Amino acid sequence: MLTPLQISSYLAFAIFVVVVVWKFVKYATMPIHLRWELYPVPHEPEHEHGGSFFEHQNIWQLERKHDKLNELKEMFEEMLFIKRMFQNKRDLWYVSWPFHAGVYLILVWLALLFIRAVLVIAGVHSLVPIADALIMIAGAIGVIAATLGCLGLLIKRVGSWELREYSAGVEIFNLLFVLAVLLTGLFAWIKFDPNFNIAKEYMLSLVSFGSQPMPELPKPILVHLILLELLFIYIPFTKIAHYVGKYYTFHTVLWEDAINKPGSEVERKVKRCLQFRVSWSAPHIAGRTWAEEAANPKLDVIERWKP
Amino acid sequence: MSKEVRIKDIGKPSKQLIKLRLEDLMKLPPPYDKPGEEPEMTEPKEEWREKYITELDGYIAIDVPFEKPKTKEEEQRLIQRFLEGLKKLLDKENNWTFLQPLLLSLEFCAKCQTCNDACPIYLSSGKKEIYRPTYRSEVLRRIWKRYLTPAGKVFGKFVSGDIELNWYTIARLAELAYRCTLCRRCTQVCPIGVDNGLIAHEIRKLFSQEMGVAPKALHELGTVQHLRVGSSTALTPEGFKDIIEFIEDDIKERTGKNIKIPVDEKGADILLIHNAGEYLSWPENPAAFAIIFEEAGISWTLSSELVGYDAVNYGVWYDDVQLARIARKHVEVARKLDVNRIVVGECGHAHKALCVVADRVLADEYNIPRESCMPILWDIVRKKKLNLDPEKNNFPVTLHDPCNMVRLMGVVEPQRKILREICPQFREMEPHGVYNYCCGGGSGFAIMTSMNFPEWRNKVATRMKFKQILTAFQDCIDPSIKKYVCAPCSNCKGAIRDMLDHYQATMKCGIYYGGLVELMVNAMVDIEEPFIEMF
Repeated sequence: MLTPLQISSYLAFAIFVVVVVWKFVKYATMPIHLRWELYPVPHEPEHEHGGSFFEHQNIWQLERKHDKLNELKEMFEEMLFIKRMFQNKRDLWYVSWPFHAGVYLILVWLALLFIRAVLVIAGVHSLVPIADALIMIAGAIGVIAATLGCLGLLIKRVGSWELREYSAGVEIFNLLFVLAVLLTGLFAWIKFDPNFNIAKEYMLSLVSFGSQPMPELPKPILVHLILLELLFIYIPFTKIAHYVGKYYTFHTVLWEDAINKPGSEVERKVKRCLQFRVSWSAPHIAGRTWAEEAANPKLDVIERWKP
Repeated sequence: MSKEVRIKDIGKPSKQLIKLRLEDLMKLPPPYDKPGEEPEMTEPKEEWREKYITELDGYIAIDVPFEKPKTKEEEQRLIQRFLEGLKKLLDKENNWTFLQPLLLSLEFCAKCQTCNDACPIYLSSGKKEIYRPTYRSEVLRRIWKRYLTPAGKVFGKFVSGDIELNWYTIARLAELAYRCTLCRRCTQVCPIGVDNGLIAHEIRKLFSQEMGVAPKALHELGTVQHLRVGSSTALTPEGFKDIIEFIEDDIKERTGKNIKIPVDEKGADILLIHNAGEYLSWPENPAAFAIIFEEAGISWTLSSELVGYDAVNYGVWYDDVQLARIARKHVEVARKLDVNRIVVGECGHAHKALCVVADRVLADEYNIPRESCMPILWDIVRKKKLNLDPEKNNFPVTLHDPCNMVRLMGVVEPQRKILREICPQFREMEPHGVYNYCCGGGSGFAIMTSMNFPEWRNKVATRMKFKQILTAFQDCIDPSIKKYVCAPCSNCKGAIRDMLDHYQATMKCGIYYGGLVELMVNAMVDIEEPFIEMF
């Protein structure tokens, strides 16, 4: 029999997944845009000097080569180490990187808790001690690094004029919310669950859909768990989910350099977009499709703007 | 750091949001490190204040009179029109061209300010707040959130931040869209890939495509004149043919070579398109191309058809509809001539517009290959199709990287390889390649010459380039040593020409400028007189 708390855990996770997927789908289903790449593009073989296939003649006949390995390297350097911030905004990186690295470790910790539960249910007990050790390492380092980083980010955000001026209230609130989850987690770990045994048992009860007993949760852990669930529900609706944006900005804008060759998939998409109707109101635009507007220009101009 | 202007101040009723002072600007290297070495800054004329938007920084990019509303109703109409435009920017059919990149940049900026020090305008201005690359983006983002998102409508300031939408906000935002050269250095350093240059570009589009408001040099005298008359320079097909004759005579006179420049030759391999500004301001550049291509035995032609002799496409800076129209005309001309490919001459934005951005407004029979001239020129040098003597170019040379050709298109090495081959004193400026700074004339600034805008360009936008050039030549800064800035782009040359003039740098430092092909012809063994004149 599932408890209301367990049901809320499933729900929080499900909402998180559904909304994140919806966000990915939203961006994935947008129409093709004009090319807007920015060099260096890491999959170009000449990426070392920022070169592209345009450094060659007869580009349509050129056999395009993609250095996928370098693209992965660039991607992981940015994801794992926030390379651009390290190079260009070191003072903020000193707090941003521990925070992000800590969060990654907490995610690893959650994944390990899940794997451990699966191992227990499957009866593979020989691997459980390894999982326990990894859970200890990831959880301990993760929560400490993320808490210190988050605290640092909050201090920076509030203390630095250039960050505070550009932040809306919600951006401070986001940091406070995350910090509250981390601090309650830190407190719960140190005071009530130093070996993450309660966390392991709770995850086991979730993975077994209630067939394994749910542990007794001390009040601080209960508070932490509820806050964590609320955070899971909240994240996808906010800019904390910027990992979605980061994927698309790099992969579908800055590094996207597919040529529109006759008969290609790109051309097929472009042709569809050229049939969209333009309803801009300026006098040089006639309200026809993009293809018609391009073929037969209307060239009226205004002498002065009047409200 | 300048803290006097806040984001919400964009809507503050005041005569002028900031005033630039010479002493606040970024310091320049010798000999400009002493007071009195550069002209003072001026005040906008009072009569300009009545007709144009001087409420931002006193400088005027938008030279279409922009009336102030006289009543609340008029102001509301303006606000509604602006919001209608903003909605269209976020609409699939009206803005499929940039919808995804725009939404990503509006939605995901972490406001970490990592981009700030990548912006040459922000640094050159002495870090004036309104030029911070995130400033205009944040203004637009707040308007979008406050007025067009459910969260903004429900939670107000808490999610959108403080912003008021009124005439001042809209008018200043229109001008502010023209305080960014769209060089996109800020995007290169952003950990999330947010594109503040793109946001400036989209604001320009909103004003042009919804309200018909854009600098005359870009719209009325730019794309509109280009499509009507044949060129944004007002050069007609007949005028073009006359200039070609003049260039042929000039080549004969200067080099002794009898060259018949191919015009409208059907079936050639290449249709070469130059920025028409070259024919009027730097005819030695198309002349040098003709000498090189003929000497190397290239199958090529120019076109005398309307639009076909002017490679520019100012639409790429402010209006996607105009961009599509001009790109379509360019390929129509190429189709009629039955060429294999279009090759763009030394013009950066024409490179990017025709080869990169407009790649996705062409389809079916209008989709033909479009390429840069740089690999062809390098191929000619590499295969020794010309007899070149580097000693003829034995003077200090540095290379400017046009943003549109280099950072935004990846054409980086061919021009360098040529210079390393033919210029013994070639030295890089720092930073260079894809990390180089904009000339300051980017995104139309080089051709926007109304009222006091050139002063802003020379003082702020080109300041970083001037610093780079001076630094590259510090070991030979004496004016008796003639030096050459190689700028393989018409608009960059225009900006550098005005910069050298403004700072009197040719007289004070012996700095000259020109294109790449001029250096190649200057090194040709069989041409006795110097092709490049520095005196």
